[in-house]
Amino acid sequence: MKPTGVIFFPAFDWAISPTHPEREERLLYTRDQLFEEGIMDMPEVREYHPRLATAKEVSRVHFCVPDVESRVTQAHMVSAGCAMVMADSFMQKEVKNAFAIIRPPGHHAMTVVHGNRGFCDINNEAVMVEYLRRTYGIKRLAIVDTDVHHGDGSQEIFWHDPDVLFISFHQDGRTLYPGSGFTDELGGPLAYGTTINIPMAPKTTDTGIHYIMDNLVLPILEEFKPELVINSAGQDNHYSDPLANMSFTAQGYAVLNQKLRPDIAVLEGGYSVETALPYINMGIIMAMAGIDFSNLREPDYNPSRFKESPGNMDYIRALIDRQLENFRGREAVVEANRKKGREFDSYSRSIFYDTNYLQEEQRLDLRMCPDCCGFRRISSSCVHASGRQYSIYGICLPMACCPTCGERARSDYDEMKKKAGYNYIYLQDRVRDEYRTFDCGSAEETVL
Amino acid sequence: MLIGIDVGGTFTDGALFSDASVVHSVKHPTDENDLAATLLGVLDELLKHAETKGVRRIVLSTTLVTNLLATGKGERTALLLLPGSGMPFSAYSISPDTYFLKGGIDFRGRQIEPTDKKEIEEALRQIEKTGIERVAVAGKFSNRNDSHEKLVMEMIKDLYPHMDVCISNEIAGRLNFPRRAVTCYYTAMTIRQWNAFADGIEAAVRGRVPGCELHILKADGGTTTLEASRRRPCETVFSGPAASAMGTVALNREPLNCVSVDIGGTTSDVCLLIDGQPLYASKGALIGGHLTHIHSFAVNSVAIGGDSAVYEESGELRVGPMRNGVAACFGGASPAVTDAFNILEDLKLGDIQASRTKLEIVAGRLNLQLEDICRKVADIVTEKLKESIVYMFSQWESEPAYKVWEVVHQRKFVLHHVIGIGAAAPAIVPMLAKKLGVTHILHRYSPVANALGAALARPTLAVEVHVDTQRRAYTASPGGLSGPVEDRNYQMKDARKLAERLLREISGERGLSAYADDARVYLEEQFNVIRGYQQTGKLFDVGIQIAPGFIHEYKGVEQ
Repeated sequence: MKPTGVIFFPAFDWAISPTHPEREERLLYTRDQLFEEGIMDMPEVREYHPRLATAKEVSRVHFCVPDVESRVTQAHMVSAGCAMVMADSFMQKEVKNAFAIIRPPGHHAMTVVHGNRGFCDINNEAVMVEYLRRTYGIKRLAIVDTDVHHGDGSQEIFWHDPDVLFISFHQDGRTLYPGSGFTDELGGPLAYGTTINIPMAPKTTDTGIHYIMDNLVLPILEEFKPELVINSAGQDNHYSDPLANMSFTAQGYAVLNQKLRPDIAVLEGGYSVETALPYINMGIIMAMAGIDFSNLREPDYNPSRFKESPGNMDYIRALIDRQLENFRGREAVVEANRKKGREFDSYSRSIFYDTNYLQEEQRLDLRMCPDCCGFRRISSSCVHASGRQYSIYGICLPMACCPTCGERARSDYDEMKKKAGYNYIYLQDRVRDEYRTFDCGSAEETVL
Repeated sequence: MLIGIDVGGTFTDGALFSDASVVHSVKHPTDENDLAATLLGVLDELLKHAETKGVRRIVLSTTLVTNLLATGKGERTALLLLPGSGMPFSAYSISPDTYFLKGGIDFRGRQIEPTDKKEIEEALRQIEKTGIERVAVAGKFSNRNDSHEKLVMEMIKDLYPHMDVCISNEIAGRLNFPRRAVTCYYTAMTIRQWNAFADGIEAAVRGRVPGCELHILKADGGTTTLEASRRRPCETVFSGPAASAMGTVALNREPLNCVSVDIGGTTSDVCLLIDGQPLYASKGALIGGHLTHIHSFAVNSVAIGGDSAVYEESGELRVGPMRNGVAACFGGASPAVTDAFNILEDLKLGDIQASRTKLEIVAGRLNLQLEDICRKVADIVTEKLKESIVYMFSQWESEPAYKVWEVVHQRKFVLHHVIGIGAAAPAIVPMLAKKLGVTHILHRYSPVANALGAALARPTLAVEVHVDTQRRAYTASPGGLSGPVEDRNYQMKDARKLAERLLREISGERGLSAYADDARVYLEEQFNVIRGYQQTGKLFDVGIQIAPGFIHEYKGVEQ
């Protein structure tokens, strides 16, 4: 039997600020626990060495303003690199599944990056997904986000991508950052129904979450038939997490992984550094590696402490029914949207960056292509922490787009270079695996 | 004058060193059944060439403990484990006589679950009934709080004074519970036999060379006094490769990246030197299928050596892994690897005509010219060694990293030299170096490098301190030391001072004071403990060591 690949990257020399939840100490006790248990010595586990992501790999997903090097910390580059090391180990069949225990996290980072959102600069899973597509020809994937916070960054990045099923479990957005992830957020007009949100009431327990797994998540994964399942393995649903209010346990996380059987899991949030993380990380490794985890428990664990309320179970059952219906009716909705005959579907929005208190204004057009999932054009402006205002224009051309969209996107890019009013024009050409940045001030173009 | 003796599996080497040169060297076959006699035989022959009074220090490297553990001849030993929560108990298949006890400690040294005295008493009754007299005790996170281990030890001393007991935190105080348990178990298993051996050797040496220092070589390439080794016999495993590695370094003191290839009869040991320092196995020595906390060199053994047979089988050329005696040029009945190199490089080793005659027979069977078969053999041998070397590079480069700095500054191994050690090295190493595109070094003392390494190695000692200012306590290894930390404004410099003080104290106890000034800090980590956006404490980890090196009087050898 092949081992489970594990990469442990605690970034012991990096913090957002000394007392920030995302600080050096975060994975210290997890290190102590993993090392003391000797789990990395077990034949069921193989440990890997981290690497840096390259600017090109990041540019497959993001428009980093002004560029990757000046926008993204090295810690984030290592984190994303680690996710790709795990992807390689899995795709090259060295391991049966893989778990990246890494920080900093990534699931709040969106396509355009003006700064840090929810402790994230870049989206580790999204960078890994595009790497998997480019390197290994994977097309269809599912991301199951089990972090207590809504994975709004991953949702935004894959919103228009019908080949990525994004499912997010989280505490109800009316009670927690980032305040999104409601059941009516179901994806863009041509990718409707491949974004599924599962907002849960505060205090939901193992029982509730496992019920959702069995009756919603597993059935729709079965129907979607992804080539690969990724778990955004946030650990802040735990009963001791200081930033959230759920009642999940380490045993609960281990069982969830046993049910989900992810091919690759990537750590996201989780800030109960002493009481939860050491035990949940052990639990996930053990579940993925097939090691008996019945002896694993938190020091203050009491099996009878949390009971799911009948009222919450009623809510969960109704939620499941609604989301199953949304998922199963998705193709009809996409078909109807295509027939509306508009050339572009446009909308505007504001995006808040909580870490740096930035406000981004964005306008987005999606080409309503009759033959493919279309391409996106984003114009975005934001005053950075430095005080300087940036206005940028980015065009995202997905790998699965049709030749017409390809030509149109490239000619739009050339047109935009001539226009005034922007600092930078970007073209993310995943078909050619070519990433262009045009600096309007100096009229210089860089190509990755 | 200095004496080093390396008792190997096949041969025992001894060297007498004085004034920058080897005065005399001895090679005897090893008698596995009487290591002490072999050792003293070599010592006596060396002493003939030395004025008895002039011998200041003798260092021994022996295979006794390695053999006891490899052959399962250690004494039956019970293992008492206090694993608490976490891995399943089935993960600990270390001793057939394992007893699991209640009691849990966490990573901060806090008790999670108390021990149960009744349960301990019952386990001890069982052990007593089976007639076992050696007991090893290991608890998870005992290195952060060993009160449970100590309680069990006290109960054993109290109830069954005839039993010998070892606790894991005193033997090996670093994180990794299974490795600590294994190391403690092996210690308990070999401690009596080692002490019996030590008694015999000590008396014999004192009788011959009164007043001379007597040291034992450890797996980490450092020495320890015979006296100090009595409590930690396990540290003496794998001292053979350590002797070779230290000898290699003694003869090549430039801080370069090298690979040393010790070519024996049927195996070759490959070892990396990084900036002139031999590389350690990152996970500790592997003994009997279990990883331990014993610091040992990373050695990769390749099943090919100078005596590996060269023969034909089903129309194919084969090289090794078995040997049929020595190479033909040295009087062997059939051709071996050395013969092929002898011809190819015109080395004029022994009877080169014998090399030719014997290899021609094999060449004939394969319809090859003599020259071709030699080249093929050389290719096979150097390719295997190269593979092993490249593998070791890549292993070193891909060690896990836990800091951004380490990833940004990616390790890259750039090779400078190949160093040849062992009898067959002159035949094989030059061509191997050519293949790797670097120069080779063959020192005239390389045949006695192992004994020389033992003779010249200095003592080593590593002390690691863990300070938790929130809990106002420190723990330290080795020896399971602990104490209070009073200062509310404790800083890294204070933790460093504490580590230095403890290193001096332990050096004194172990008779190594002369080297305490050579200690260097190799680990410094500090973490702020933040609860609710407030700092509530600091955690410090400091490691300080007298690293492997050479005794003060060694200034190099005469060229």
